Order: sequence, then structure tokens, then C-alpha cells
Amino acid sequence: MRTRLVAILVLLVTLAAAPSAAAQDGVTVFAAASLRNALDRVNAAFSRTTGIRVTASYAASSALAKQIVQGAPAEVYVSANLKWMDFLEQEKLLVPGSRIDLLGNTLVLIAPQTSGYDKVDIRQGFNIAMLAGDGRIAVSDTRSVPAGLYAKAALQSLGVWRAAEPKLAQAENVRATLAYVARGETPIGIVYFTDAKVEPKVKIIGTFPPGSHPPIIYPAAAVAGSRHPNVTRYLHFLQTPAARTIFERFGFRFLTPPKAS
Amino acid sequence: MLDLTTQDWTAIALSLRIAVVATLVTLPFGIAIALLLARKDFWGKSLVDALVHLPLVLPPVVTGYLLLIVLGRRAPVGAFLADHFGIVFSFRWTGAVISCGVMAFPLMVRAIRLSIEAIDRRLEDAAATLGANSAWRFATVTLPLALPGIIAGAMLAFARALGEFGATITFVSNIPGETQTISAAIYTLTQVPGGDAAALQLVVIAVVISLAALVASEWLARRATARLHGA
Repeated sequence: MRTRLVAILVLLVTLAAAPSAAAQDGVTVFAAASLRNALDRVNAAFSRTTGIRVTASYAASSALAKQIVQGAPAEVYVSANLKWMDFLEQEKLLVPGSRIDLLGNTLVLIAPQTSGYDKVDIRQGFNIAMLAGDGRIAVSDTRSVPAGLYAKAALQSLGVWRAAEPKLAQAENVRATLAYVARGETPIGIVYFTDAKVEPKVKIIGTFPPGSHPPIIYPAAAVAGSRHPNVTRYLHFLQTPAARTIFERFGFRFLTPPKAS
Repeated sequence: MLDLTTQDWTAIALSLRIAVVATLVTLPFGIAIALLLARKDFWGKSLVDALVHLPLVLPPVVTGYLLLIVLGRRAPVGAFLADHFGIVFSFRWTGAVISCGVMAFPLMVRAIRLSIEAIDRRLEDAAATLGANSAWRFATVTLPLALPGIIAGAMLAFARALGEFGATITFVSNIPGETQTISAAIYTLTQVPGGDAAALQLVVIAVVISLAALVASEWLARRATARLHGA
């Protein structure tokens, strides 16, 4: 009886120890929520090519930056805007010289697939309040989440922020925003083009003029304290034609000059 | 000393309002179900008991999601209520009242049921022999005797409703002024670099409110018990 108990305990301890051993030779990536589908594919391709496992955590870029500042074990950080990357750079949490501008995106207005709305001409003073009706406009948190910051900037520069602000339903990241519209909880929402592309339950009814908000740039960088060889290979892979094909297939614009594999 | 924004004060006021309304709305149901479970035996009683306790054991987010797929804007019951009565819960404080009420319900029922079960039935029988019908007996004998338990149940429910987060944020999300309670406000602040100072202030206020509620409930319960046994 006693030996059986000891055997079970030893087994449990070994099992508990095993996963942490495996995590030693992988790469941990913290990436913006909008990158989920595309980066999963890229990570799979990277693992197939190099045999290095990638663990990805997707959330709002602001939340991820906060976690990294608090010491989360991220090795690569991909943000949906420059602000949060700059913030980490100021906190001296990036590996100097590792930062690159990787991808670009477009801001779109979406509605549920079953919606009666068809094509909206998004220009100065367009009647967003009427589109929302007695419902709300789904956006990401306009104080910190990149998709929300871009949306607020666009609405402000188009002169409709005053009309839109009281009708906002702010979600904690862009995929939650997407889910509101997909579930029909709100009649319209503002997300990235790449998000609308992966969700069959929504349709794009308008595109925000690129000049109405700061350019949407996704920078990527290595986090200070990361394991050098794996991370360098990973960041390099993100810039290869193989990765480029995947990102462009999902609707991202590729910004870095592609590197040879 | 306290440097709170209007949004923070709104969150505090909203939390109190939602918790009070949720407690008041669930109280009649809580007393009714507690009475049913304490006094009656019927087929399916254990199922009812289990359903009442479900929000206590389910992960709050699951409860919130279930509310969403039943009462959401496009969901069966939600769409019916919206189309025929104009009642919408999505992104409204009324939805927050529902999620807080649902999460607090099991605690309320447990406390009230315990106190009802502790009542000496002979007192009610005595009232019956003196000509009181069941409604009168309930109002003048059962209810006053169960009062300490009802107060305890109500305060427990209030405290639970005040702190409710997971189900509320899943069901009606986090809209300042409508559904952003103290918990949701603190959560939002902790998601942003630099929001810690403001979050801490709200935390202090939340603790003060909860302590005040506990002290008040203790005092009320003691007074009710004293009146039962003393005067």
C-alpha cells in the first residue's frame, strides 16, 4: 500500500516536471488578437521547417504590453500599433535592433451577414448614428486597444465621433468586437479587414479611408531576456516569402522587404 | 486623496444600483423557492434543488454565456422579448441585474431555506388551531420567524451581486454608464499600462463598501433575532 502510494506520487511529480522541460526549446510569442488565424499558420510552418515549437498568446496589444512589463515570459511581441511597441522600448524591454515593421492592415465597417445594409460610403460626416439605429456600434476599447484607437481616430477625423461615442459598445479586443457583430448583438462594428475575412457571419459594408487614421502598422520585436538563437530564427522566418504568402492570403499587407529563406 | 474620475463614480453608483435592484427582484423568488424546498416534497425536487444551485458551481463565464444564448438579442427568448415587449438586455443595466441576480440566487435560497427549516412547526400549528389560514400563517408567523435568515440571504445576495464579474461581462459586456460595475472598471484599468493607481483606488472603495454591507447585515440580523426572542 505504502509503495503504491509512493509510486503514484513519483509518477505525478515526473508528469508535472515534464512539460516545463519541453518548453525550454520553444519560442513564446505574444501577438495582437487580430493575428490569431494567420500567425497560427505561420507558426505551424515555422515548426515544420525548424522543428522548434511555438507557443502563441493572443490578446489586445495593450493587455500584452502590460503583461510583459509585469514580467510575463514572452520572447517575441507583435503589436497592432506602434504605440505599445514604443512603450516597451521606452521601458527598455526590447532587444535593441530586433524591431521591424512587419505588416499593414485596413480598417473596415462590418455588419452581420443577415443585415439589410449593403454598401456604405464612408466619408466626412457620414450618418453612423442612423446606421446604428437603436443598437450600438461595436468597437474595441478606444482608450487602449489598437483597433479601438484607430477607430476613434477615424471617427474623429470624419467628424462623427460626437454622434458615435454614446452608442459605442467597447470590447476588450478586436476579436470580441467581431463576435458582437457576428452574434447580431450590434448592427454594425469596426474591425480590421483581416478579421472580417475570417468570419463568415459578418460582411464588410464599408472601408475607412486610409487617411482618416494613423497608418496601421504591426511591428514585431524580440523581448529582452529571450533565448537568442530560436528567437532570431523566428523573427527571420516571419520575413521570408513563405510567411509572406500566408499573411497576404489572410489579407495583411506585407511591409518588410522579404528575406531569403 | 481620492482622485477618481466621473467614470469611476459612475461605476460605483451603477454597482450599488444593480446590486440593490438584483437583490430586491430576486427576494420574492428566493423566499418562494426556499419555502418550496423546505416544506414540500414532490417529484423532481432534487432536480429543482440542483438547478437552483447550478450558478454556484458553474464557472461564472459559463452562466453568462448561457444567459447570452437564451436572452441575447438574437436568441430565442431575447428576440421574443425584444420584438413583442421592447425589452432588451444586451448591453443594458437590466441585463446586468439579471446576471447578478442569477449568480446571487443560490446563496439567497440556501440562507432562507435554512432559517425556514429551523422554524418550530408547532407555532404554525397553534396559529392554525386559532383559525389562521395558510396565507395569514405565512405572513404573521413564518415570515417574521424566518426574518433573520431572509436578511442574511438578502445581504449575501447583495454582496455577491456587488462583486459579480464573469457572468456580467460575458452577458452584457463592459459599457461605462450601463454595465461597467466596479469589478469591470477595475478589470479594464488593469488591462492598460499605467492604470494601476486608479485601479487601486477603486479596490479600496470596493473593500469599504463590502465591509459596510457585512457590518450592516450583522447588525440587522442581530436586531431581528433579539426582537424574536426578547420583546
